[in-house]
Amino acid sequence: MEKHASLANRKRRERVINSVCFLLVVFFSALCLLPIWWIFRSSVMSNNQLFANDVPFFPPDWLFSNYPRALQNFDFWTYLKNTMIIIVPSVIAGTVTAVLGGYAFARMRFKGKKFLFTLVIGSMFLPVMVTLIPLYIMWTNVFELNGTYWPLILPYFCGGGAFNIYLIRQFIMTIPRELDEAATIDGAGHFRILISIIMPAIKAAMIVVALLLFTQMWNDLIQQSLYIHDAKKYTIALGLSQFKGSLKQDYSAIMCATCMSFAPGIIFYLLGQKYFVEGIVLTGMKG
Amino acid sequence: MSKRSKKPRNALMRAENRTAYLCLIPSIIGLIFLTYVPLLEVFGLSFFSWKGNGFKGFTFVGLQNYVKLLTTDPYFKTSVAVTLYYTFMAVIGSMIYSLIIALLLNRKIPARGFWRAIFYLPYLLPAVAVYLGWNWLYNINYGLFNFILNRVFGLPRVGFVNDAKLVAPSLALVSVWLAGNLIVIFLAGLQNVPKTYLEAAEVDGANSWQRFWHITVPCMSPIIFYNLLMALITNLQVITPALALTKGGPGSSSRFVSYVMYQYAFESRKFGYAAAVSVMLFILIGIFTVILFATSKSWMFSQGGDD
Repeated sequence: MEKHASLANRKRRERVINSVCFLLVVFFSALCLLPIWWIFRSSVMSNNQLFANDVPFFPPDWLFSNYPRALQNFDFWTYLKNTMIIIVPSVIAGTVTAVLGGYAFARMRFKGKKFLFTLVIGSMFLPVMVTLIPLYIMWTNVFELNGTYWPLILPYFCGGGAFNIYLIRQFIMTIPRELDEAATIDGAGHFRILISIIMPAIKAAMIVVALLLFTQMWNDLIQQSLYIHDAKKYTIALGLSQFKGSLKQDYSAIMCATCMSFAPGIIFYLLGQKYFVEGIVLTGMKG
Repeated sequence: MSKRSKKPRNALMRAENRTAYLCLIPSIIGLIFLTYVPLLEVFGLSFFSWKGNGFKGFTFVGLQNYVKLLTTDPYFKTSVAVTLYYTFMAVIGSMIYSLIIALLLNRKIPARGFWRAIFYLPYLLPAVAVYLGWNWLYNINYGLFNFILNRVFGLPRVGFVNDAKLVAPSLALVSVWLAGNLIVIFLAGLQNVPKTYLEAAEVDGANSWQRFWHITVPCMSPIIFYNLLMALITNLQVITPALALTKGGPGSSSRFVSYVMYQYAFESRKFGYAAAVSVMLFILIGIFTVILFATSKSWMFSQGGDD
């Protein structure tokens, strides 16, 4: 009898804790969204309203006409197109080469496997800033590719990043080997197994890798600013920096440009969200 | 008998060897030419003076770049202090924030996916746009934060990124806001904490704090370690806020080590000298990585080890 009471008690307490947690989540997400709200709210206000002394929290009237006005000087569509010219091939190449590498490490025996894997893991801890100068010299002085998109794209044809190889490997290792062995008996080679058995099973991990590669390039400014100088070739990141410099005080236009450049990442995430969290969770992230 | 069965096995292994290397060609090229060779090159270059004009004009200067960097350089020493200060706040802040959010999101709450997406959202916005936006949020007269300080709480206005004392903490706050990826990784770890341990402890009468401290934290320690290490490495090489927003200012109060390197290389075109800064950054990050690995044995719990 007493046990029942304490169980009911515990259940009730659990419910209270869950409600408190829920309220905290709502509170924190409101805080988290507040900056985005303020930026958006500023994008639909006129400069006079922005620099008025009463600083309204809600826009007095929703001036969506600021957007076409900002677009006159902020060539969003060209920048988006240029960014995609860099990102799309890089994401595809990076994901494919990471899958190939991860597959070899997860499933095959070969000479020097341990050594190579140590090199991969080691490069995860190597700060990219340290190799910035030699790589700049290589692309600029040796290959003379400065001014093109190649220095930004080609690295992704070379392995797709150590962490991504590791992630794919971990994921493939969770797939039962019996599946491959059955296919081997049926006469399938390594690549057949990869395409028909492994890749369908690691779809979630591949989407995670694609999203990680996307955000990596999406967040990049330094590399792009080192290799792209022609305004016609500007990416969103470069276009925004330059736009800010040209319109020092037109904050409503700058906030419009900022809001526009928020959009593609959000869309990409919403498309892959289901797989994304599943992928990270299933990988386990343990050695 | 054994000879006969060995032959095809060897052939099979050779074939597997070949396929493996075929799969790994891109990664090997990347590891050699984009990672380890450049690492050696940056060490080599740091002993030279080179203006970046063709492959002539390399002058061997020995340790002179390092001597100058550690003695007369006007920026380097402050940049190390500024970077450490920023990193300390950004790492502590984002670790605590993301762990709390992950713990909250790990409970049974309605529409979990939706809330998770909100916390992840900032990480998906292009960094330049984020810093442009936050620059406006930090505006002394018309920004969100002074609106909150001044209008809501009646406190005096604050300069944030325009104040030499506050610029590093203000930028660290942005990095906390951007910590969505840490939340996702913590959440993944929390979902891998064995439910049986938690239930067993509950049966034994452990309260939720005891369960958190004695089961969740030890099971999570490898993930805490991973997140801590990655957050340290990322924040110690911080450059984007300086590049996109502050240009190292006001004064030198946000002139991070990477930004000093950037300025020496790409503004003054002193590539050898900048390479020496890169090496110092490498050593700085290396020190923290080694300390973290060395101490991890004492606090990291490995499953199957001591249970």
